[in-house]
Amino acid sequence: MSDPDRTERVSSTRLFRDDTKFALGRIAVFQYASVAVFLFLISGFWVLQIRDHEANSTLAERNRIKTVPLLAPRGKILDRDGRVIVDNQPAFVVQLAQENLKLEHLAPIAEGLHLDLDDLKATVKRYAAGKRYSPIPIKRDLTPAELTFIDSHRDPGTFPELELVQEPRRLYPQNGLAAHVIGYVGEVSETELNSSDFASYSQGDLVGKTGLERQYNEILKGVDGQRRVVVDVAGREHQVLESAEATPGQNLQLTIDLDLQAVAELALEGKKGAVIALDPRDGSVLAMVSRPAFDPNLFAAHIKSADWKALTTNPDNPLLNRAIQAQFAPGSTFKPLVAMAGLESGTIDENYSVRCNGGGTFYGRYTKCWQKGGHGGVNMHAGIVHSCDVYFYTVGDKIGIDNIAEYAEQAGLGKKTGVDLPGEAEGLMPSTKWKLRTQREKWYPGETISVAIGQGAVTVTPIQLATAIGGMANGGVWFKPHLVKMAAPTDPRRENWNPDHIAKVVAGMYGVVNEGGTGTSAAIPGITLSGKTGSAQRVSNDLRKSGKLAKDELQDNGWFVAFAPRENPEIVIAVLLEAGEHGNLAAPTARDVIKAYFDKKTRLSKIAQPSLALIQRPGAAAPPSVH
Amino acid sequence: MDLILNRYRNLTALVAAILVQLVLLAYQVKSNQEVRLIRVWAVSAVTPLARLLEGGRSGAVTFFKDYFVLLDVREQNKRLQTDLNRVQLENQVLRSELDTAERGRALSVFQEQSQMKTVAARIIGNSPGSNGRVVLIDRGTGSGIQPGMAVITPDGIVGKIVSSYPTASNLLLVTDPTFAAGVLSQKNRVHGTLKGTGNSNALVDYVQNEQNVEVGEWFYTAGDDRVFPKGLPAGTVTAVRPGRTVKEIFLSPSGLQNGLEDVLVILEGDHKPIPDLPPPGQSVHLQPLPTSEGDSADPLSAARSSGAQTDLDREVEHTRRIGEDQKHVFGERGRGAPDFNKVPAAAPLAAPSSPASASPASNSQAPSSSTPSSNQPRP
Amino acid sequence: MSDIPAAFSDPPRKSKVSKFKWVSIVGIPLAAILFQVYVPRFFTYLAYLEMPLLVTVYFSLMRRSPPFGVLLGMCIGLAQDSLSNHPLGMFGIVKTLVGYFAASVSQRFETNNAVLRLVLAFFFFFFHQFFYWVLARALLGEAVSFEPLQTLVLAVLNAAVAVPLFHILDRLKVTD
Repeated sequence: MSDPDRTERVSSTRLFRDDTKFALGRIAVFQYASVAVFLFLISGFWVLQIRDHEANSTLAERNRIKTVPLLAPRGKILDRDGRVIVDNQPAFVVQLAQENLKLEHLAPIAEGLHLDLDDLKATVKRYAAGKRYSPIPIKRDLTPAELTFIDSHRDPGTFPELELVQEPRRLYPQNGLAAHVIGYVGEVSETELNSSDFASYSQGDLVGKTGLERQYNEILKGVDGQRRVVVDVAGREHQVLESAEATPGQNLQLTIDLDLQAVAELALEGKKGAVIALDPRDGSVLAMVSRPAFDPNLFAAHIKSADWKALTTNPDNPLLNRAIQAQFAPGSTFKPLVAMAGLESGTIDENYSVRCNGGGTFYGRYTKCWQKGGHGGVNMHAGIVHSCDVYFYTVGDKIGIDNIAEYAEQAGLGKKTGVDLPGEAEGLMPSTKWKLRTQREKWYPGETISVAIGQGAVTVTPIQLATAIGGMANGGVWFKPHLVKMAAPTDPRRENWNPDHIAKVVAGMYGVVNEGGTGTSAAIPGITLSGKTGSAQRVSNDLRKSGKLAKDELQDNGWFVAFAPRENPEIVIAVLLEAGEHGNLAAPTARDVIKAYFDKKTRLSKIAQPSLALIQRPGAAAPPSVH
Repeated sequence: MDLILNRYRNLTALVAAILVQLVLLAYQVKSNQEVRLIRVWAVSAVTPLARLLEGGRSGAVTFFKDYFVLLDVREQNKRLQTDLNRVQLENQVLRSELDTAERGRALSVFQEQSQMKTVAARIIGNSPGSNGRVVLIDRGTGSGIQPGMAVITPDGIVGKIVSSYPTASNLLLVTDPTFAAGVLSQKNRVHGTLKGTGNSNALVDYVQNEQNVEVGEWFYTAGDDRVFPKGLPAGTVTAVRPGRTVKEIFLSPSGLQNGLEDVLVILEGDHKPIPDLPPPGQSVHLQPLPTSEGDSADPLSAARSSGAQTDLDREVEHTRRIGEDQKHVFGERGRGAPDFNKVPAAAPLAAPSSPASASPASNSQAPSSSTPSSNQPRP
Repeated sequence: MSDIPAAFSDPPRKSKVSKFKWVSIVGIPLAAILFQVYVPRFFTYLAYLEMPLLVTVYFSLMRRSPPFGVLLGMCIGLAQDSLSNHPLGMFGIVKTLVGYFAASVSQRFETNNAVLRLVLAFFFFFFHQFFYWVLARALLGEAVSFEPLQTLVLAVLNAAVAVPLFHILDRLKVTD
């Protein structure tokens, strides 16, 4: 046991003594080995503590390894034919890299980029509290001069925290075209961040704020990619360490037809109101316009507070989408539904006649017809064609409010249509139950008289009106209106309405336009356009007489709801002109849009069947409904 | 312990030295702070020597130049004389202003009229490891020089100060890839950003392919980068070609053309209008416009300024023209609905050369020709 | 200022430590740095000449004291760093190591031999460039590329310059 040990020791001492050279070599080897171990330990310490600390980003002192976000473009918004409604265009956003940020640089940066220093400081503070080392976007939509300022100051010696990132910017139609349908995008707000809808977002992200941009935000937004790259001092990439390409958002194909949308936009230019055109056969929205409008491009980068203030304080409320949010009394456009209720409930038949002498006394109160001289003997057809108020006072009284409410609700009034846009209004269809529930009062039969001509408590939105009338004309089949092709509903709501009754009401509406009724200005030769005008008081007669109202409020709203062709309608349209006095003024708008629809159909059929093109005259009788 | 330290004296020294420097390095990387003091010492130690060297060298060079290249000097003299005459003329104007008007007003006029406040400096060395794109000049904070100041020669811009020490400053040259400055072209006032490339040429970025820039054209500083005052010559275009997203314009920086020895550091800038003629003393060989550069003559490039459009904008324009053509105001009773299949008469501007315009239903063709009239007021 | 050539026959460990005036020890490195800063302005290709490195190697070899080599290498390296735009310490660390190893080697070899000097200068230049590259990559994460072939060629050139340079510097030695 001890023997080999000793010999070992002896031999080693002898070696040491005898061959100092070898020993020296051993010491040298030991020296170098310890240096190597030392360096190894140091390098480990370095990697852990200095370089990889905070996820590799600290060594970005000179931005050697840099994470470049690849911002995904949002999906385009297309019309039903694939034409582009909302596009993207390249733009730059300037960010501050937090790891390089020096607070004393903020003042010159704010000056160079025309930012408010206090705002900038607040932004930086907000981000500093959040995720560390996430870049702080400080300005979007840079001018060429600002771009130059950034480029000439982002060298390592000056403001290395400045970073330029290409960010696709939304390009919206100009002059507020389709603005309410599209909506706009903006930076996600703090309150939105706290809601569950935006849980996966972080500060500075762009999200849809209103309209389709909001409704379909999840589809439109893409998945941002990122590249980890090695860059030189100049910011030029030398090596890509890791690359995840951005996935662009999905395109959104709408049911909107730009041919019709354009006509509706032009028809409402300079007016206040809304147009909505639907295909009653599937509920697809062909055109939706609300005026006055706003320019969504103002929001595309970052809306200036002055612009925002101007929009929100505007008395005409341009941000309101009147097609789905304006709730007004439907006026005489309600009458076809009252007639339907009468026929369906069996209270009246089409031959039930009323004598109109220009007014009548109901429940102790004399109420006028709009036609001073009266309409004489009026049956249902004439009542609709000439929109005789006395006829509907009488009939409405006979039917009763709950029958009217039942059928109007079956047609979809008083509740949201469920169109795929945020913020839709409900409208109101009063009934005895409703009054008891909300006002704890009994329904007075006198109130039915007003409701029967679409006044009083009843209110509708343009989209409700179009849906209701469209579904009726469609044979009692209501499709949920929708703007996006893939949102097409599969099963419509059906009510067991008698087709004969529907045909009789439709005949009345045909007469409104084509038999010298109130809507003759909507007539199109060769197209069996049927419709109903309406003019609704914005305030009650009592208030009207008080004389305390603005001129605008004294004027009536003009309504026009129409569909074509008369049988198996393909398009239904509701037009609202606020302070438009009478539905007669709204009728030409509907006519122009419907004409555009059928002209396009002719055009397309010509392309599809060139041989037929020689035979068919443009704008002639409705083309075959082959689709 | 003592023994160990003694025995491994060498190793201890090495470890200590490396450790100290690692800590120094770590401090810089972690805190993103410069260790300015050490740099100031080193620069202060080197500059006097470098200055001495440079003085001796340039003295010798001047001597040789004077002696051998008299002709060239005479030429240069003539040029300087012209310059001098101009300056003297300006001086006289100012002096007369001083004489005639009351003193206070004249002084303010003088201040207004005065050119930029500058400091002359001489280049005394290269910064190690910068490939000659950062140089040392012999003036520093003592002369009022601060980082971010512009550096020029009478020929054009040279670069900007990136760091300054008491007796010297580092100057980043236009050729460095991190350099950038806002520039405007002389002829067409095209705006762009001049960027260094690392070699002797610079390039001008962010110029749209549709914009017109010619070879030989001068670019001047635009004044929007907050470094250079407006109106200083930057260089001449040596090559132009359309790029993938923006035009590729190469520029020969005029400030570096005649070698680099003496420069001016601008302490206080003064924006000047961009001259309509090339700067005096520069005999520029202006090449005739190459005919192959066809896109520059394309009138369509002007239409771009109206802004990007979507198909909806185009459709509305198209529909509006249908209405105008048939004298129909949409939404008004009129004489009934218009015929949407009746194609409006081609707008007078429509370019017949494009084959696309032959198909009347084409949506894409409609807007470009109609944009100029798009803003017509409607009743 | 002696002019005595080094004795080739001397056994390595007994060869004497060369001494220099302090003026030369401070002045020569300074001149080398100045050369690197100034001269390439006019002769760009001279930028590849690592004068400060060669001087570090020379003095470390001749003084034969690792602590001295460490100190000299560190000072010269840091001075170079100060004038550059890199963080301080990069050249410093590399030159510290060069100084240490050069001094260590000198304890075992005859350093007046021209062939050995050539080999050492070649080796240390390559080591210097390589280690700088390693440091830049490892410590700063810089993406500098390393071209072995080019570095080898430059090492040869530097070594070729080193031999006559060292010979000239030998004249600064102080004899007791």
